[in-house]
This record gives sequence, structure tokens and C-alpha cells, in this order.
Amino acid sequence: MELQLQNLSKRYGTKYAVDDVNACLTPGIYGLLGANGAGKTTLMRMICGVLKPTSGTISLNGKKIEALGEQYYDHLGYMPQDFGFYPDFTAREFMLYMAAVKGLSKNKGKKRTDSLLHMVNLSDVADKKIKSFSGGMKQRLGIAQAELNSPSILILDEPTAGLDPKERVRFRNLISDLSKEKIVILSTHIVSDVSYIADTILMMKDGRFILQKPMATVTDGIQGKVWELFTDERTVEEYSRRFAVVNLHHENNSVRLRIISNTAPSADAKTVPPSLEDLFLYHFGEDAQVERSEI
Amino acid sequence: MLVKYEFLKILRKKSTLVIMLASLLITAVFFALPIIQYQTYNQDGVLRGLEGIKYDKEQYESISVPLTNEYVTKAIDEVKQLFENPDNIGYDGQEQFLVDDAYWNDIAYRESLLNMIAANFAEPNVTVGYNHLLSVDTSNGADFYQARQDKIEKIVNTSSRELSESAKEYWLNMNSKVETPLPYGYFEGWEVIISCFELLIFPLLAICIILCPVFSGEYQAGTDAVVLSSKYGKTKLTTAKTIASLLFGLLAFTLHIIVGFAIPLAAYGIDGWNLPLQINGTAVPYPLTFLEGTLINLGVVYLVLIAMIGLTLFLSSKMKTPYFVLIVVIPVLFIPMFLSPNGTAGIYNLLIFLTPYQSLTPNFAQYITYPFGSVILDSFTMNAVVYALLALILLPLAGIGFKKHQVE
Repeated sequence: MELQLQNLSKRYGTKYAVDDVNACLTPGIYGLLGANGAGKTTLMRMICGVLKPTSGTISLNGKKIEALGEQYYDHLGYMPQDFGFYPDFTAREFMLYMAAVKGLSKNKGKKRTDSLLHMVNLSDVADKKIKSFSGGMKQRLGIAQAELNSPSILILDEPTAGLDPKERVRFRNLISDLSKEKIVILSTHIVSDVSYIADTILMMKDGRFILQKPMATVTDGIQGKVWELFTDERTVEEYSRRFAVVNLHHENNSVRLRIISNTAPSADAKTVPPSLEDLFLYHFGEDAQVERSEI
Repeated sequence: MLVKYEFLKILRKKSTLVIMLASLLITAVFFALPIIQYQTYNQDGVLRGLEGIKYDKEQYESISVPLTNEYVTKAIDEVKQLFENPDNIGYDGQEQFLVDDAYWNDIAYRESLLNMIAANFAEPNVTVGYNHLLSVDTSNGADFYQARQDKIEKIVNTSSRELSESAKEYWLNMNSKVETPLPYGYFEGWEVIISCFELLIFPLLAICIILCPVFSGEYQAGTDAVVLSSKYGKTKLTTAKTIASLLFGLLAFTLHIIVGFAIPLAAYGIDGWNLPLQINGTAVPYPLTFLEGTLINLGVVYLVLIAMIGLTLFLSSKMKTPYFVLIVVIPVLFIPMFLSPNGTAGIYNLLIFLTPYQSLTPNFAQYITYPFGSVILDSFTMNAVVYALLALILLPLAGIGFKKHQVE
């Protein structure tokens, strides 16, 4: 199975939300990283066929998705960012409704609903109205509905937004379990969400893919650019102003700083192995600072 | 399956229940008002409500007869004789009328009938009472039906109506199918129903309000991305939403019709269903009974309903929230209430008669004519054609609007 994005662009007025994106996706988990406004959601909407590209094509196994129509959507499972529910429906009713919209037979819909609600640990509240659910429960229901038709392409847009750390870990494991033989595109601006489970990292900035690499080698490009040094509290501000400080840790009377820089920030700074978070900050610089509190 | 879920989505909302209950209550009150406010008089005083209705209905037993020329002549002569006795006559400064026993014993129980006969002999658009019968020449017997024919010819030849020869022929030909002599009888329940048709604008609005979120509610709730990226999201779901909306609209409206019509029919009885519309106004050219006239207008009203559902769904598929849909639908339904036609001819008037509000009201005696070359359409046919076309255009457009919706 091959999902191809060819010269894909989406323009709003004069601004490109997605700008000439090309990719060939085969089964595996793709971590789509980018700051807010990088174009991740727009790209995912186009892949899901709910937003028309300004130019370019999306093809599945060589056939354009417009031509495939229902056939394409049958392969697709989508959990959009901040997607809504029908508050007066129970979780079970919502799942059965979505099963019908996804073309599952009544019996199959019931079986998948029971099994998926169990999988996302919502069996006990299956007959409660969705409006009584917490954010985490809604997110779990969201992924359950995306899995109803056992899709071979699973698109998850910021699925961990609003979840507490424990729920995020649970969510990651769930996605990992579901990913076999599938193309899973997991969009997030929270680096740790993808660092454990992604096979490939797609990094977006200003509507373009600035990086497409396997997870194993994704940080190769910043090898030797991540530094650690010890300093006193008076000079922390100076370092913060001059460099991208990824981490700051107080130890006794000194402060340990983790800095990304092309050159050594000080004579006694030592290079350390880079992480995905370092890479993210390296590419997004000031944009990424905004996101640091969520990392 | 999808239709069932879409139907459930409409029904499950609390707002649906609240709006439906309010609308049913308004309909019931409006249709009950003529009964609550009903009053009639006898020598002992005023009789109100159901008591008054019962009394009047009993009066009709002796006058439920075929209106032959002989019967009409006799009735006119009886009135004339009463006016010959000065003791029977009252005068209000403008016209004479009968008083005391002459009125209560010989006029009161059949005043509606006598007024109708008098109106038949009067000029078009002139309101007269039974005292106008004094001017009717009965020396050779009154020809009630010739007078009716003359009156209708005067109406169609009125220059302000701007009727073409083929239009005149259309109306006269229709009128020729009215069977005579007209059978007379009690028809109050049907008269109330016919006069209350315009009140159905409220259930129409209620249904449109409930259906505003069918498509736009998905956009507002953020469920559009999920459903539109599903296998049947752009195909069967769209059809299911349309069918469920129509089903809900038709059932809800029928419930209002049942409630609205049952109230006058329970109070007045179904008497008169098989009587001709002409006994409520002899200038009516339609050869229909009260039941047939009601059903024909009801057919038009249902087409208006379906077209308005089509408009609501179309707007719903195009607008981001249900509130924007309402902002358009409410004026479409209510502004025409304040636009009065100033005649029956001319583009302005003909368009006014095509608005949803005016289309609910049956125009049996207004000779509203829509000429298309040699083809002449009356207001019922024209409304039916226009609203059927609108429904045929708007319902598929609503589906297309949803299919093409971009999640942004």
C-alpha cells in the first residue's frame, strides 16, 4: 500500500498553508511534527478528503482519491483535532452511528463497537451520554470511532491534546497496538508523543516538509550541535538570550543548561547525544519556545 | 439504518421537544380561538362557545335544502313581506332592518343563508345584508343562478383584473362545472379550517427552526470532518439526512394539522364536508366541496412545507451555524405577512401571492391568474408548480452543498 502526496498545496488568499508537499507513505507510524500553524491539520484534512487542495494530488496505490471515492474512504480512519460529538448520543449510539456511516453491517457494527469500546476502556460507560465524558474519555472514543472500519490509513490529528501524562502514555500504547500493517499519521506538536512510537518523522514548517527521516536517524543532522554546560544563575539569562536553551536544571549552586547551537556556547561546554526534542527546537527556534511548556 | 439515526439526531435534541410543544400549543390555541370567542344571539340573550355552536347548528336543520330558484324566490318574498309591515322595521340612519319577532322568528335562524342570497344579487365586492333582498325583482321568480352567472362574468370582465380572453374562458369554463342547484347546510367547521390555514405558518417556522442544524450543526459541532471522511459521508449520509428531515417535517406538520383541524371539527362537527364551496360565497368558481377545497389547499401547503424544508437544508449545508440559517429563513416566512396585495393582477401582486405565507391561504374567489401564453394557471396550480420545482431544486442542492463542504 502506498499513499502518495504529489506537489500538494493549499493556499488561503496569498498565504500557503501547505506548500508543495511531496511524500510517499507506506505502512508504518509517521510522526508529523510542527509548531502550531505549520500546516499539519490542513495537510491531514486534505489527505482525508475533507479539504480540497489548491493544487497537487493525493493517490492511493497510484489512483487519485477523488476517483476512488467511497473506496478510498473505506480505507480511512480519521480522528480530527477538536472533533465534536453528538452530546445527546451515548458512546454506543455514537459508535453504531459511525459504523453505519462507515458502511458496516448492523451486526458487524455492533461487534466492532463492543470490542473497540472495550479496547479503549469505555465499556462501563458505553450507555452514558457523551456530554458527561471527560476530555480523555472523548479522545478515547475518538480513536475508537476512527478504528471502526479497521482502516489501513489512520490519521490522528493531535490525539493527545488535553490529556494528562498518564492518559498520553496509554494513548501512545493504544496507537502502537493499532498500527500493524497500517499507514498511521500522527500529528502533534508534543514531541514525546511520537518519539517512542514513530517509525518516521515528518517535520513541517511554514507549510513545507523540512525533514522526512526514519526515527533511527532523524537526529543525525544535529549530531554535535547539542551542548551541556554548567554555569551560575547570573549568566543563565545571558545564555537564554543568545542560544536556544532546551533544558535548565538547578544543581547545588550551579545551573546545568542544555543548549542547541552550531558552535560551542562556551569553552567548557560539552556535546551530548541529541534527542528528538532537541531537533524540534533546533528547527523551530523561537516558534518552538512557545511549545516548550507542553513538552 | 442511517435514516433512523439521522431521525433520532433530530428527535433527541431538547430544543426539538421544546419547539414542537410550543408550536403545537400555539396551533391548538389559534384553532380553538374561534370556538372560545364564538357567540350567537337568541331572544334570551347571548350564547357563547360550544353552547352557541350547538344552538346555531340546530337552526340549520330547517334550511339544509337544495337552493332551487323556487326556494330562493320564496325566501326573498318572505323577507319582502316582513318589510311591508312598518312595525317590523328598524332604521339606524343608514338602512332598514327587521326587529323583534319578525327578526327572531323569521330571519335569525337563516340570516347567513339570506345574506348569501342577497350577496349573490349584489355587485361584486359589495357587502350587503338580507335587507338588500328588497331590491331583487321576483315578479317573474328570482333567477338565483343567472344572477350568479352574471356576477361571475362581471368579475372576470373587471378591467383591473387584466384577464385575457383565454383567462376569462378558463374561469367561466371552470365555473360551468359547478353543479346546481347548490345544496345548502351547516359548514361552520370547514369555514373555520379554511380561514385558519394561514396560521400554519407557525408550525412551518417551527419545523424549519428544528431542521436548521441538520447540516450546519455538523459544521458547528465539528463532526463534519469525521462524517465526511467516512465511506458514506458524502453519499448515503447526505440522502439519509434529507430523507430524515423530510420524514420529520411531514410527520411533525401532520401532527399539527391533526391537532389544528381536530379542534374545530370536534366543536362544529364534520357537517358540510360534502357541500359546495359556493354556499359560503357564490362567486367561487371552483366546482369543489369544502372537503375537496381543504384537501387541495392542504396539498399545496405540504408542497410549501417540502420546499421550505429544502430551503432550510440548502442554507444549512452552506452556512457555518444554524443561526445564520435562521437569519434567512425567518424573514422569508414572515416578511410576506406584512406585504399586502393591492389587487389580483400585476407582477407585484402575483409574486406576493406566491410567497410562502400567502400560499398557505386558499384563494377560492379571487380569480388569481398566472397566464403563460395560452396556458392559464390558477393560484393553487401555480403555487403547487412553483413549490414542487423549488423542492426539486433545493433538496438536491442541499446534498451537493454538504458533499462539497470544506472543513476549514
